[in-house]
Amino acid sequence: MISKKFQIKTIFYLFPALFIFLVFNVIPGLSSLVLSFFEFSGFETNLFQKFVGFENFVKIYHDKYFWIALKNTFLFVFGAVFIQTGIALMLSVFIFFGNFKYSVLVRSIMFFPCVLAPVSVGLVWKKILEQDGVLNAILGLDFSWLSTISIVMWLIITVNTWQWIGYNLVIYYAGLQSLNIELLEAADIDGANWSQKIFSIVIPLLWPTTILNMILNLIGGFRAFDIVYVLTRGGPAHYSEVLASYLYYYSFAAGGPNKMGVGSSVAFIIFACILTIALVRIIVMRKITN
Amino acid sequence: MNKEKINNYGATFKSSPAFYITTRLVVLFFIIIIIFPLLYTLSLSIRSPETVYSAKYFLIPEEFSFASYIDAFAYAEQRLKVTFPRMFLNSMVVVVSSVSLIIFLSIFAAFSFSHMKFPMKESLYNVMIASVAMPAQVLLIPMFYLLIYFGIINTYLAVILAYAGFLIPIGILILRMFFEQIPYELTEAGITDGASDLQLLTRILLPLAKPAIATCIILLFLDTWNEFVYAMIFMQDASIHTVPVALAKLGTSRYHINIGTYSAAVMITIIPVLIIFGVFQRWFIAGITMGALKH
Repeated sequence: MISKKFQIKTIFYLFPALFIFLVFNVIPGLSSLVLSFFEFSGFETNLFQKFVGFENFVKIYHDKYFWIALKNTFLFVFGAVFIQTGIALMLSVFIFFGNFKYSVLVRSIMFFPCVLAPVSVGLVWKKILEQDGVLNAILGLDFSWLSTISIVMWLIITVNTWQWIGYNLVIYYAGLQSLNIELLEAADIDGANWSQKIFSIVIPLLWPTTILNMILNLIGGFRAFDIVYVLTRGGPAHYSEVLASYLYYYSFAAGGPNKMGVGSSVAFIIFACILTIALVRIIVMRKITN
Repeated sequence: MNKEKINNYGATFKSSPAFYITTRLVVLFFIIIIIFPLLYTLSLSIRSPETVYSAKYFLIPEEFSFASYIDAFAYAEQRLKVTFPRMFLNSMVVVVSSVSLIIFLSIFAAFSFSHMKFPMKESLYNVMIASVAMPAQVLLIPMFYLLIYFGIINTYLAVILAYAGFLIPIGILILRMFFEQIPYELTEAGITDGASDLQLLTRILLPLAKPAIATCIILLFLDTWNEFVYAMIFMQDASIHTVPVALAKLGTSRYHINIGTYSAAVMITIIPVLIIFGVFQRWFIAGITMGALKH
């Protein structure tokens, strides 16, 4: 600590970043909450003219597609938190303990999709999943994957998992590298076999890393928009809409209702979800550290 | 040291052939799943336009040709209204300016957080941490009007400032933690030698903080280069579209597009990233891991 008490010069260091943060993050964030109680669309100059109370929320409450979007978002988050983390855990344990000759290369290959734009990934998969795409050619089917309501969300989850599995994998790998080796050696002396060692030593020891991965995927899951937009645009008939794409559809999409007040109330709901999660996280973290 | 450690771990699992075979099979399966879509797209892009629909061999083209790449360049110019060099330039302008702005401002702000005292420091810091978890879409509508109000919508500046506002907390978060890890004796020695704050920052802290700054650059580069929603909505002029925005139009375009041309266009955006990743992969993986652990 350079100075024990507040000095004016601190302002010069802090202010530029703080200014940008306030103007382009905090203020829009708070306005978003306020705007959800107003009705406005497209080209208005004074957004705060028409106060409508909870009307926007009532509107989405009665919209069937909002509930679909909400359900899909939770499904997507579920897939990211449990399926994606689970597969990453399995792969990292296998690669780490499997004594692979080219383990660095294997990890790099699995990590590579993470650096690609979700848009590029979506476009790659879109052609594969199309009716005349290679998946049907391999399986010998003539199935329209992305326009089947019952599986379209699971396909989006699969593509998302395909892209982000390497991200969780390298985080798990870092966790494995800092593992306490003595416990495993002790287990060897006791004659434990590999599955016992993995299930009763490695996985419990990796618990903090698992929590971290789950939190990262949870946050990422609520963000998902690009992949939905590119793969299906929320279709068929809004059945693969998630909250973020539902917001986009209501506020910006060409041919959409162009009701930004309603869009703002969707933003309010996303905000509330994240805030709830953040609070739960703080409580869980306190419990872990105690 | 690291190598020895891995061998030690492995030795305890080596004796089981079941484990050996399972790991190979599972990992191989996932590698194929990861690689196949990318290789397949590559394969489509290097077929001659006539043989592109013959999926007979899946990966090996019947007839090699780079015609699709030429078609893709023409398609971008005619239908997407922005050439490939131009969209890469647009992305570069946005990424380089927003990342340098964020890093520059974050260095000073992180310094004041780590080495200075001011009122409400920790609550401000907590607000910043909380904002990292917020999805970008929450800010979309008010930000859109804010940028119209400032008269900078449809310019590079719109997206640069929006990125800066959204990502500055990440820069501050990582740099503050790093600055605080630097031993107190070093800064103290500087202070007794009569160094000013600025000298302390530039002569002592920054040279030591190079790895943290590299981490920031990697994380911010990925976030901004791949970002889609802000770039799509705040820069609607086709001539300043970034790579993801122009590319997304390809998938939703109402014009017919040959699948070879489509694949070539996608590959043009993937190949540069692949090269950069190939060169810097260690830094990428280390940076991402470090960034994630800081959450």
